[in-house]
Amino acid sequence: MIAIKNLVKGYGGRTVVDIESLTIRAGETIGLVGNNGAGKTTFFRMLLDLIRPDSGEILSKDINVASSSQWKDYTASYLDEGFLIDYLTPEEYFTFIGSLHGLSVAHVSDYLRQYEEFFNGEILSRGKYIRDFSKGNQNKVGIAAALMQKPELLILDEPFANLDPTTQIRLKSLVKNLSTTQRLTTFISSHDLNHVTDVCNRIILLEKGKVIKDFYTDENSLKELEAYFSE
Amino acid sequence: MLTTFLSHQWKSFWRSRNKAGSVAAQIVLGFFMLYFLVVALLIGFGMSVFIEKIFPGLDPKVVFRGVILYYFLLDLAIRIQMQELPTLSIVPYLHLKISRKTIVNFLNLKSIFSFFNLLPWFIFFPFILITLGPSEGFLAALAYLLSILGLTFFNHFLVLYIKRQSINNIAFFAAGVALVLALAGLDYYGLISIRSFSNLVFQAVSVYPYISLIFVAAAFAIFKLNSAYLMANLYTEELSTKDDKKVSTDYPFLNNFGRVGELAALELKLILRHKRSRSSVIMGFLFLCYGFFFYRMPLINNNEFGKMLFAAVFMTGITVSVYGQFMYAWQSSHFDGLLSNKINYKDFIKAKFLLFTISSTLITILSSFYGFMSYKLLLLHLAAYIYNLGVGTVVVLYFANFNYKRLDITTSASFNWQGVGATQWLLGLPLLLLPMLIYVPFGILNLPYWGLATIAFLGLVGLVMRNFWVNVIVKKFEKQRYKIAEGFRE
Repeated sequence: MIAIKNLVKGYGGRTVVDIESLTIRAGETIGLVGNNGAGKTTFFRMLLDLIRPDSGEILSKDINVASSSQWKDYTASYLDEGFLIDYLTPEEYFTFIGSLHGLSVAHVSDYLRQYEEFFNGEILSRGKYIRDFSKGNQNKVGIAAALMQKPELLILDEPFANLDPTTQIRLKSLVKNLSTTQRLTTFISSHDLNHVTDVCNRIILLEKGKVIKDFYTDENSLKELEAYFSE
Repeated sequence: MLTTFLSHQWKSFWRSRNKAGSVAAQIVLGFFMLYFLVVALLIGFGMSVFIEKIFPGLDPKVVFRGVILYYFLLDLAIRIQMQELPTLSIVPYLHLKISRKTIVNFLNLKSIFSFFNLLPWFIFFPFILITLGPSEGFLAALAYLLSILGLTFFNHFLVLYIKRQSINNIAFFAAGVALVLALAGLDYYGLISIRSFSNLVFQAVSVYPYISLIFVAAAFAIFKLNSAYLMANLYTEELSTKDDKKVSTDYPFLNNFGRVGELAALELKLILRHKRSRSSVIMGFLFLCYGFFFYRMPLINNNEFGKMLFAAVFMTGITVSVYGQFMYAWQSSHFDGLLSNKINYKDFIKAKFLLFTISSTLITILSSFYGFMSYKLLLLHLAAYIYNLGVGTVVVLYFANFNYKRLDITTSASFNWQGVGATQWLLGLPLLLLPMLIYVPFGILNLPYWGLATIAFLGLVGLVMRNFWVNVIVKKFEKQRYKIAEGFRE
């Protein structure tokens, strides 16, 4: 699905991301962990062609993401509020995103019905613009909009941050479901090791831009990670 | 504390991503200022000579007294347009152990270093010291100096007050403009005479020097008013807490344009749902009055279009220059989202063209009321309109690719002063001057209609080649998009 070769990105003489080679197969749920400044968000931004790498390339389905925007057909993402058009109502935003993927208004509202539980009655028909929502609820809008695009590749940066516990649990089961039923490939970054080991079947640990550990999860993964981070 | 603020400001200027652009703008502005200072100095020292040349036989002192209030009325008119509000992004300081007073003082202090406050010194002081002083005595001269200073700072803080208020309520701006226009109009049609009023006032100052303290008191009062307003509005979350229900809207007309129309609708909502951009739109309508300054019957009768072209291009293209020069920064808060979504860049650019076309067409239709003055003005507007659509839009959108400066339109409007001043107009100037340049040879050869036709033709060429230009802009955009996105993330 994704192949990364010699990816390097630096800012002001400091290397932020330096990944020699990394291959992601379809259907994997990857948890990206690492302390602040490990390069998680920079890596995601390069994956989404928002930052130009200093060298190396990212191939999505064998096509370089920087040379063609074909990857946009099957990739959905939510990194931060910068992805939301905050002066729209959530309905308008969903309609807009849906229209980019050829979904009619009826389709979109039909689709949103299955997220009623996820939204917990706090998002739709509240008569507010997205900018007036709390951070957690903005997160929900962004994640739901990403899922609505029926992606094959989903990229979420710290999706559990700012979410209430109920929604965290619902999001986890949602991602788990999608990866089994639709063979969804997912990148999730998080500082919450519990969540990551729970949802993901592969963990990639970054430190100063380098891949330090890369393993498939088992019952010992959490302990292993905790040991690493408490050093 | 004040010096710390100054050093932060200094750093934010030099460390900003758009450094090259702002430095260049400052240098050009600097040259303009130097020029005006030299002119002011010449006027100041040559005052008695000029007065005798222009008004032979009149007492220079009488003329001088008459001119003072005139000058300050003009000063007010220019300041309303050009004077920049002192900016200091105060949000990071508000929660710290810094008293509100210090912040307000800094904003006021910084504002005083304005070019407009320097001009009167050069224009009026030489005459007062050289001519008035010896003949009317030390006390009278001192009173004159005080009056001039008082008036200068009165204007200064009045304009700041109007501008600050107008950010929240555009009516203040309209009222300010209307007041100046009304005074100028009444004087022009001879209903009142500012000159004789000014003469009267300053004659009194000569006789009773303490009258000058009234001006000082007025300046002080408006200064206090300003400080009080700032003091009371030093909140970041001023933005309307009104609980009106926001509804989803749809623009069926734009749906005719498919994907491009959808993107245009998105941007239309952006404009209508932010105070900042809404004020720009209203300002655009206010500027429809510009024609009254420039269009004069003698000019129209003699077909001197060159002198009216500026107003025509300015009015019909107001949306292009005002909205266009901050392009794509209006969308800086969600630029990442636009890039990572399935949006064709070509559609993205075309949507902007569509928006410009619709808005310019609308404004041009509105401006056709000048047709009552003469049908020739309609031709003038048509040529300017086609030029704006064909050339203006392309230039503005091409240069939008070099704008990396984030524009925060969502933060509280009270302190959102980015680009409210002279630098804002500087960027649009070449675009406004080009048609005049083209017209010059035709004007000299006395072929006014050919001049208009050429300008319109240039616009038509641009329109016909629009697809080509769209591709050029898209190519540039593809190259620049990382840089733009990075700048907008700041």
